[in-house]
Amino acid sequence: MAAAALCPYRALLARRRGALRALSGSVRGLAAGPETHFGFQTVTEAERREKIYHVFESVAKKYDVMNDSMTLGIHRLWKDILLHKMNPSPGTLLLDVAGGTGDIAFRFINYVRSARERQLQQKLKHHQNLSWQEISESYQEDKFKSLGDSQVVVCDINKEMLKVGKQKAQHLGYSEGLSWVLGDAEELPFDDDKFDVYTIAFGIRNVTRIDLALQEAYRVLKPGGRFLCLEFSHVSNPLLSRLYDLYSFQVIPVLGEVIAGDWKSYQYLVESIRRFPPQEELKAMIEDAGFFKVDYQNLNSGIVAIHSGFKL
Amino acid sequence: MAAAVAAARSLRRAGWRLWRGRAVVRCQLYQPQRALQASAVLRRVSDEQKEPLASSQQQFDSHPADHQPEKKPQGPRPSYTGQGGQESEDYESEEQLQHRILTAALEFVPQHGWTAEAIAEGAKTLGLSVAAAGMFHSDGSELILHFVSQCNTKLSELLEQEQKLVQLGKAEKKPTDQFLRDAVEARLRMLIPYIEKWPQALSILLLPHNIPSSLNLLTSMIDDIWQYAGDQSTDFNWYTRRAVLTGIYNTTELVMMQDSSPDFEDTWRFLENRVADAMNMGNTANQVQSTGEAVVQGLMGAAVTIRNLAGLNQRR
Repeated sequence: MAAAALCPYRALLARRRGALRALSGSVRGLAAGPETHFGFQTVTEAERREKIYHVFESVAKKYDVMNDSMTLGIHRLWKDILLHKMNPSPGTLLLDVAGGTGDIAFRFINYVRSARERQLQQKLKHHQNLSWQEISESYQEDKFKSLGDSQVVVCDINKEMLKVGKQKAQHLGYSEGLSWVLGDAEELPFDDDKFDVYTIAFGIRNVTRIDLALQEAYRVLKPGGRFLCLEFSHVSNPLLSRLYDLYSFQVIPVLGEVIAGDWKSYQYLVESIRRFPPQEELKAMIEDAGFFKVDYQNLNSGIVAIHSGFKL
Repeated sequence: MAAAVAAARSLRRAGWRLWRGRAVVRCQLYQPQRALQASAVLRRVSDEQKEPLASSQQQFDSHPADHQPEKKPQGPRPSYTGQGGQESEDYESEEQLQHRILTAALEFVPQHGWTAEAIAEGAKTLGLSVAAAGMFHSDGSELILHFVSQCNTKLSELLEQEQKLVQLGKAEKKPTDQFLRDAVEARLRMLIPYIEKWPQALSILLLPHNIPSSLNLLTSMIDDIWQYAGDQSTDFNWYTRRAVLTGIYNTTELVMMQDSSPDFEDTWRFLENRVADAMNMGNTANQVQSTGEAVVQGLMGAAVTIRNLAGLNQRR
């Protein structure tokens, strides 16, 4: 349903971004394109996009396995905490950007399903003296609403990741309320004011123009909607920081080579974590995009942080 | 006039576009102005007051920056925000929006209880997404505290009005015990629409992270009542009176939770008895003291008599 909601780009949007590109191009001189970082290298924006696409294309099949081995399974807890913070009620529309293999989407569906069951149980408790007619009616209407109209749209720029995600969904039996859309976080193919919650878990690091992605997030959210971002961030504790660095640079690329056969992608991964803005800076960027009540929560003392903002 | 308005409109639109197109060049200098940005929901406080401009305002709700020089800030409702002191006086702050959501959520409490779901439903009625309930704690504490503070405000207004009537000579000044009874009854009656879910609320208010706020609200309400009752004590009585009234209020509230009599008659009778007890407590204290003295004297006399009888008092 959401896949069909491709919106024609507003002239304003295109013009604004065109102005931005020209501006940044002129500021940076007449280079082939504006320069940015890919891990610890300096590349143009176009090159960066291509490289990141290739990184995820090659890791797609082993993505989940690598996640488990690199974080020793703790990433599952992080995603659970994100869902708990979101606390979605039945009827919520979720847009999961860079959702790739669907971890957040599946958790969302589980959460909403159990919330819905609890809701129905509460309703039944109040219905003490029903006639047979009313009882049969209530069974009929509740049968088709196990999710209570909640929907999640998984959007990713990479076809391979989406393919893996769809296979996982089929394998685990998730079909209702789930859609898969190919799209770029900097130019979302959705209308304005559509979604209740926008999440981007471990994806915003790979977006080339974070400010554009945040502006798009603002655009597609309904008034009152919530922006949630789960991402690796900076550790302030010096001892932990040293251990973390040691683990990141010595262990992870080796795991990448052994398990996925791809040293470079995982080298990129740990480098990109170091290049990502720290918590306060990201908070400022989110506020710039227009979000209110922006706040962040550190998990594991800064290894991962959840940023949250509201479109008010 | 229309041409001027149209010209102003197009100027504002251009200004808005230019301003939104900042990105690389923007520097921290612009930080304080972010509070004035396009806000989808934080509406102009003055919207309600200026009817004729309603249509044009609605269109340009999102152009605050250029709207400033044209419009004089409306008076009585300043909005405070923590993000840069340059928030326009015309926009409501996030706190005010939160209050609006909580007030709207109150009507869903009988159905959903004091939970995040009630807040989500409340946000829906205001046209916001259900995700706005994420702004509040997931156990519903803010909703309850908001409700309690609303009730306390209503009680203060009620007592204020009554006092005015007395001052104008239109009503008789009530004796203290009657005054206290009426005040506590009026306050407890505000709980009646939510009485089924109130025990849940009481338990949430007792959670450690809520105790400071709930205690604060309770003590300020009790203080209010005594002020209007005319308490001008400056000695230890001040504390005694407030402690006694707090005890009366809390116990009456608990009685009300399990009262099933029509219109809570049992509760009001309980309240009457407790207030009467409190009034008598003063007399009882004196009585106890004088009885105590009498008893002590009696004991002393008995001791002397026994000494005499035992012959220990002889002076040889």
